[in-house]
Amino acid sequence: MKKDIKVPLLFLAPALVLMLIFMILPIFVSFYLSLTDFNVFALVDWSKAKFIGLENYRKLLNDELFWKALKNTLYFVAIGVPCAIIFSLSFAILLNRPDIIGRNLFRVGFYLPHITTTVAIAVVWKWVLNPRYGILNWALSLFGITGPSWLGDPRWAMPAIIMLVVWKGLGYNIIIFLAGLQNIPEHLYEAAQIDGANRWQQLFHITIPLLRPTTFFVTVMTLIGYLQLFAEPYMLTDGGPLNSTLSIVLYMYRQGFKFFNLGYASAIAYVLFGIIFVATLIQMKFRDEEIQY
Amino acid sequence: MKKALILILLLGIILFSTLSAFAAETITVWAMGAEAKKIGAMVEKFEKAYPGLKVKVQAIPWSSAHDKLITAIAGGTVPDVAQMGTTWMAEFGSIGVFEDVSNYLKNSKVIKEDDFFEGSLNTNIVDGKLYGIPWYVDTRVLFYRTDLLAEVGYDHPPRTWEELEDVARKLAADGGYGLALSTNNYQEFMPFVWQNGGRILDENGEVAVTEPAFVEALEFYVKLFKEGLAPIDAQGTNLFQEFAAGRMPMYFSGPWMVNLTHEQVPEIDGKWSVALMPEKKSRTSFIGGCNLVIFKDSKHKEAAWKFIEFMTEAQNQVEWFKISGCLPANKWAWEDTYFNNLEMMQVFGEQLKDAKAPINIPQWAQIESFIQRRVQEACYGEKTPKEAAEALARDIEGVL
Amino acid sequence: MKEKIFLIEKIIVHLVVLLGLIVMIAPFLWMLSTSFKSTKAIFRFPPDWIPNNPTLINYTKLFQTLDFLTPFKNTIIVAFSITTLSLLICSMAGYAFAKFQFPGRDKLFLGLLGTLMIPGQITMIPVFLLLKKLGLLNSYLGLILPGLASAFSIFFMRQFIRTIPDELLEAARIDGASELYIFFKIILPLCKPALATLGIFNFTGSWNSFLWPLIIATDEKMYTLPVAIANLGGQYQTEYGLQMAGAVIVVLPVIIVFLMAQKYFIRGITLSGLKG
Repeated sequence: MKKDIKVPLLFLAPALVLMLIFMILPIFVSFYLSLTDFNVFALVDWSKAKFIGLENYRKLLNDELFWKALKNTLYFVAIGVPCAIIFSLSFAILLNRPDIIGRNLFRVGFYLPHITTTVAIAVVWKWVLNPRYGILNWALSLFGITGPSWLGDPRWAMPAIIMLVVWKGLGYNIIIFLAGLQNIPEHLYEAAQIDGANRWQQLFHITIPLLRPTTFFVTVMTLIGYLQLFAEPYMLTDGGPLNSTLSIVLYMYRQGFKFFNLGYASAIAYVLFGIIFVATLIQMKFRDEEIQY
Repeated sequence: MKKALILILLLGIILFSTLSAFAAETITVWAMGAEAKKIGAMVEKFEKAYPGLKVKVQAIPWSSAHDKLITAIAGGTVPDVAQMGTTWMAEFGSIGVFEDVSNYLKNSKVIKEDDFFEGSLNTNIVDGKLYGIPWYVDTRVLFYRTDLLAEVGYDHPPRTWEELEDVARKLAADGGYGLALSTNNYQEFMPFVWQNGGRILDENGEVAVTEPAFVEALEFYVKLFKEGLAPIDAQGTNLFQEFAAGRMPMYFSGPWMVNLTHEQVPEIDGKWSVALMPEKKSRTSFIGGCNLVIFKDSKHKEAAWKFIEFMTEAQNQVEWFKISGCLPANKWAWEDTYFNNLEMMQVFGEQLKDAKAPINIPQWAQIESFIQRRVQEACYGEKTPKEAAEALARDIEGVL
Repeated sequence: MKEKIFLIEKIIVHLVVLLGLIVMIAPFLWMLSTSFKSTKAIFRFPPDWIPNNPTLINYTKLFQTLDFLTPFKNTIIVAFSITTLSLLICSMAGYAFAKFQFPGRDKLFLGLLGTLMIPGQITMIPVFLLLKKLGLLNSYLGLILPGLASAFSIFFMRQFIRTIPDELLEAARIDGASELYIFFKIILPLCKPALATLGIFNFTGSWNSFLWPLIIATDEKMYTLPVAIANLGGQYQTEYGLQMAGAVIVVLPVIIVFLMAQKYFIRGITLSGLKG
């Protein structure tokens, strides 16, 4: 180890300067912007932006559409995150069986959607979900079910988006769960078998409790990602029908880059940041309690 | 001596003419989208007509036009002339970057104020100043299947709201729909409001969407969906296929659909036509299109005006239509014999005499999104038309 | 008897996983199949999985009339620049954190990790305004610069470089090697596996990135592939065949890279999971 400040600083400099310009400073600038009425006129001449204190936040509280976006995002998270966890954990446990044939092929196949461009996938799904010519309703019709008009019906549009997002992220979570499963010592299962525990008992008394740290990690990452839902509704429904798929980030994008109400959009971004922060803190606390017992 | 003089004169003339060719005044024109690709032929004609002037066209994609304009205005690098969407006039006009051309128009020997469709000219007026001249227009008319309407006893297109509803009901009786209509497109909805004498703002600038005229129009619009005459959800359907199959035998749209329909579904050629909007108090339709503006910072205002005059005078408007398919904004262009055998286009020409543009204020982009949202809520039955109109009034008051 | 139960169970498990796999793969096959269909052939029910008269019309249209080459070129330039520059910058920083002691090091490092909590939307608007002021909207620099320094990459490289024995570096220093020589000739070569993992990770990340280019690249000439796809909507009707062909063009390179370098992908994810 060397104790010299100049050399490490030179190595750090490029990263730190870039971080400062594009990450650290903007966080503060963004907060200041959220206290101004920066709009399309200010875009032409910055001096036109006025300081208005917490006015944007007050306006947000009375903004029906913002509440709708918040509600939609929370609905998406509340259904989406558990679905993502349950599906990926189940498949990981199945794929972890020693007697599975072609595990690698399955792993690759499940992982494929995750590496592909969200935008391209969204375009494909729009076609998959087409009520009249799409393959999803065709597959349902094989079982005698008449599928809904997925993206045209306010009740079904968000479930359709949840389906797509869970489908897309499945492989990633499976691989992380598989890594967690590999870390569970084999002798625990052997001991349980000797004690006469059946498969289910092993699952609920060994696998799931020992996977807690992994599950926690996957939940936090999924939650943070899901709170930032944007590309899927932007591509599939543009927030419709009846704003049933308008997410917080999509609303922010609309205010910021369609109407150029950049001050207002910054306030929305800050509220989102607050939600993510609180959600993470709750989970951290939850986790500390877990570890204590 | 004489010879020498003549020689000097000759030399002078030669020198002068070559110099003037070099010193030709150049104007920069921003054109958007497909127009940029097609404007070249008109520019050539213009340069022939005015040997001392040169035109440099810059093509700007529509998707980035808004941003480019803002950047150019902020950086003081604006062109002399630009094509401007009618709905953007207010936003940029109110910043005060366009030249007021009312005096130019008054003194012009080529074009006059009443050469242009009123609705189209009005899109150029912001805060009482005239900031541009209409270049081309577009409007909405009724597309309908002549054969299917004949089957239900209509040998003519529906002329009134009552007839529209009646024919839609008869057409929908076979399990399809009467017409295709959109729940979230103000360009399809606003004509109904205007036809009923409704408006967004009254003459004092107060929000007027809770007036009976507006609410009634919304009620009629909603009824078309409620009673299954129009599909509340056309998601994933292809209008051309539906129109050809007779499931959606009527719809409202613009001039581009004429050629597209011939291309996409040639099998129904001769079985469809276009007609004026159905009447309530009037037959008002939506008017859109583009204007030509001169920037305040331009160093070549006179030359820029000559270019605008050239592009908007009747004969060149006919030429431009032949090149681009963009409808003439100049009324006299429609009198040209060229349009005599374009039956469908004549309907558009006729409709343009009664067509309105949305209000010209900078907040229009937001108001547009409010209208679309509230109309959709009414169509889906989340709100009654009256509640939707009241909510819309609150929305609009919030940004004015 | 017990054998039989096990066999049945095994078959059921395989059937379930196989069904899952079909659900994962079907949309891709559907995309490929549709991209070879003409407009007429697309609107058919029940759907044809194998196109009747396969046609290349969508692909020719994509490259001839719509100039899909430009976004393709842009994406390659941007993704490659981000990947290589980011690897260099972040491994330098990772090296400084791993092998040097200086006052405030650990605090700085923790602060760096703290930025992982910040959602990108917070910084988006100020950075947009900054780039606008600098005239970098619709430029490669504007697309590349903001994404270069990433806390995750620095963390990742630090973890790896820590495993390199100090003796190696000390020996080199005694031989009078310069700091740069040590970094480029000793550290980086030893980091190859980590660099490959991170590189592939970042490459796919920037290849797929959408919201940022959507805001920065508003000029068709600067579109990246995802933005170009998003704008393929068709003005008056959805051109599914065209969109599917576009999707194939975007998805295929990533799938090929993935199949060739699977183990790096899997390793990268597994490592990213260890943060938890």
